[in-house]
Amino acid sequence: MNFEIFMQTIVNGLFTGSIYALVAIGLTLIYGVMIILNFAHGEFLMLGMYISYWAFTLLGLDPYLTIPISALLVFALGALIQRGLVQRVLDSHPLNQIILLLGVSTLMIGLVQFFWTAEPKSIHVAYETAVLTGPWGLRFSIPRTVAFFSAMISSLILYLFLQKTRTGAAIRAVSQNRNGALLMGIDVSFIYKLTFGLGVAVTAVGGSLLTPNYRMIPTVGQPFAVTAFVVVVLGTMGNFIGAFLGGLIIGVVEAFAGFYLGGDVKIIASMLVFILILLFKPSGLFGKKKGI
Amino acid sequence: METPIKTSGASPYRWLQGILLDWDRTQLLVSFAVLVLIALTPLFIKSPYYMGIVILTTLYIFTGISWNIVAGFSGQLLIAHISFLAFGAYTTIVLYNTYGVTPWIGIFVGGFVAALLGSVVAFITLRYGLKMDYFALFTIALMVALKTLFLKWDFVGGAIGMGLSLSEPGFGKMIFDSKVPYLYIALGLTCIGILIQYRIYHSKMGKYFMAIREDEAAAAALGVNTSLYNTLALVIGAAMAGVGGGFYVMYVTYVEPPQVFDLGLNVEIMMAAPIIGGLGSLAGPVLGGILNKPLAELIRGALSGGRSGSTLIVYGSFLILAILFMPRGVTGVLHGFYLKWRRRITGANQED
Repeated sequence: MNFEIFMQTIVNGLFTGSIYALVAIGLTLIYGVMIILNFAHGEFLMLGMYISYWAFTLLGLDPYLTIPISALLVFALGALIQRGLVQRVLDSHPLNQIILLLGVSTLMIGLVQFFWTAEPKSIHVAYETAVLTGPWGLRFSIPRTVAFFSAMISSLILYLFLQKTRTGAAIRAVSQNRNGALLMGIDVSFIYKLTFGLGVAVTAVGGSLLTPNYRMIPTVGQPFAVTAFVVVVLGTMGNFIGAFLGGLIIGVVEAFAGFYLGGDVKIIASMLVFILILLFKPSGLFGKKKGI
Repeated sequence: METPIKTSGASPYRWLQGILLDWDRTQLLVSFAVLVLIALTPLFIKSPYYMGIVILTTLYIFTGISWNIVAGFSGQLLIAHISFLAFGAYTTIVLYNTYGVTPWIGIFVGGFVAALLGSVVAFITLRYGLKMDYFALFTIALMVALKTLFLKWDFVGGAIGMGLSLSEPGFGKMIFDSKVPYLYIALGLTCIGILIQYRIYHSKMGKYFMAIREDEAAAAALGVNTSLYNTLALVIGAAMAGVGGGFYVMYVTYVEPPQVFDLGLNVEIMMAAPIIGGLGSLAGPVLGGILNKPLAELIRGALSGGRSGSTLIVYGSFLILAILFMPRGVTGVLHGFYLKWRRRITGANQED
């Protein structure tokens, strides 16, 4: 592996990793606030992709212009699911929570397959194969470059929202101490709805960003969800920065594994990372800091 | 549990009363009654399509029991239980196709191989202290990794998978012209499964499983070897799932990685029956099982003639509705009626 290929692999890894980061941020946000693992997480990414596909096909919108639509729709759906389903099992045995969310996941895959069939779908745009050439002959695919910077900006906006606004402070307060937040007059059930909505909306944005050059099938979200689980464990469950950096790290690791082992076995590399973290540092890179 | 009852002398119904006044034995009786009913279905059902549904219904009861022991009794968050079924299925078909070993031995070797995988999973998760959410994630991650491995492994057919090399039907090859023999094999397995489940429930081991489920730390503090019993639950459940997988592959005659390493099939084949019937109860997998496949087929047929995706819609809704409205399942509801009935019969006011 010479220097050019090395750099190119890192770039490719960061590009994929930025999407992992978005998905993992959503997962870790929900876990940090509600201590519930969203087993339906990948399906919200899938839904984001299908909403973009639908808006592109029916309304003729550019895939990037569909991002607000998919974010808003999935946000509303997430808040609804939190209010109607997840809220009722928050105090149950974890097995009940997992079964409920698996049910949501199965139902969503089924509905999408029912209405859009299991046939792979893809969006074709003029710029899908356009490439920028950078220093050292590095090649930047235009859709993936746009996806990378959009993912960075989305993460930054969400981070600033959590750190700088009153509502964000309320979310962080609930994640640090639910009862304390309740005593301070924070509407915890509103924060739960908001957090679940935000968590799945940011994931749907990740899905929409993928659409210009990614084929979608109803189960497309599952490998992303599995990777996101690895990422949140790596970056400490419930830690925002951890999920962000973990996503980029896993992206690069997978890119190198894909180079050496071939594209379709790269998930083995994530699994190896997963087992190594569990072996040497089960609390993740960021230790035991509490709260988002 | 013996209950003082107002009977005089040796009534011919005494043994029946002895069963009916004990909830666990009643559940066992109900389970076997259901199996007898299933065994009689070939008298009425001639269409191979409906027979196929009956066979899968029976198999799903068996696989449901295997998951019920791990998740229901010992409370482990074992999500991707289907990996064990896949190991059993692959072992059986490889032994038959490549080495000509009869499936009658093959499916039990499959169970053994699945049990080995189960002990490896138990070893890794206990060694690294993976509990609850981490354990659930690990089982899913393992399933995805195994799927990738099997897709690449040419010896077991890679991405194409393996089809049963069909030859002349024969008892020794577990290949039959008619579907009825398959039904009786599935029924035999399920009978054994129900008895194993009942024995475990009433053994010391079963009590330890349930102690771990309720509070693992407290169980450990009271001297229960939680590592040993977590491992045992996992290995027993895995072995049964492996045997179920062996039968599954003989019945459906092919196996491929995306089919068996799949959370959708996992929900259908492992989780739906115990969850609908009542996770952790004795009759749960049986009562849930007879609702599971037939109801799913019925609804699927009603939903625009079985369009793709409708199975998933049905199972997703099953899980959500069961957790929200019937967390103790059909058995839980029946138990309520049963207690009322027993109170009237015995005049005593006691709980199980």
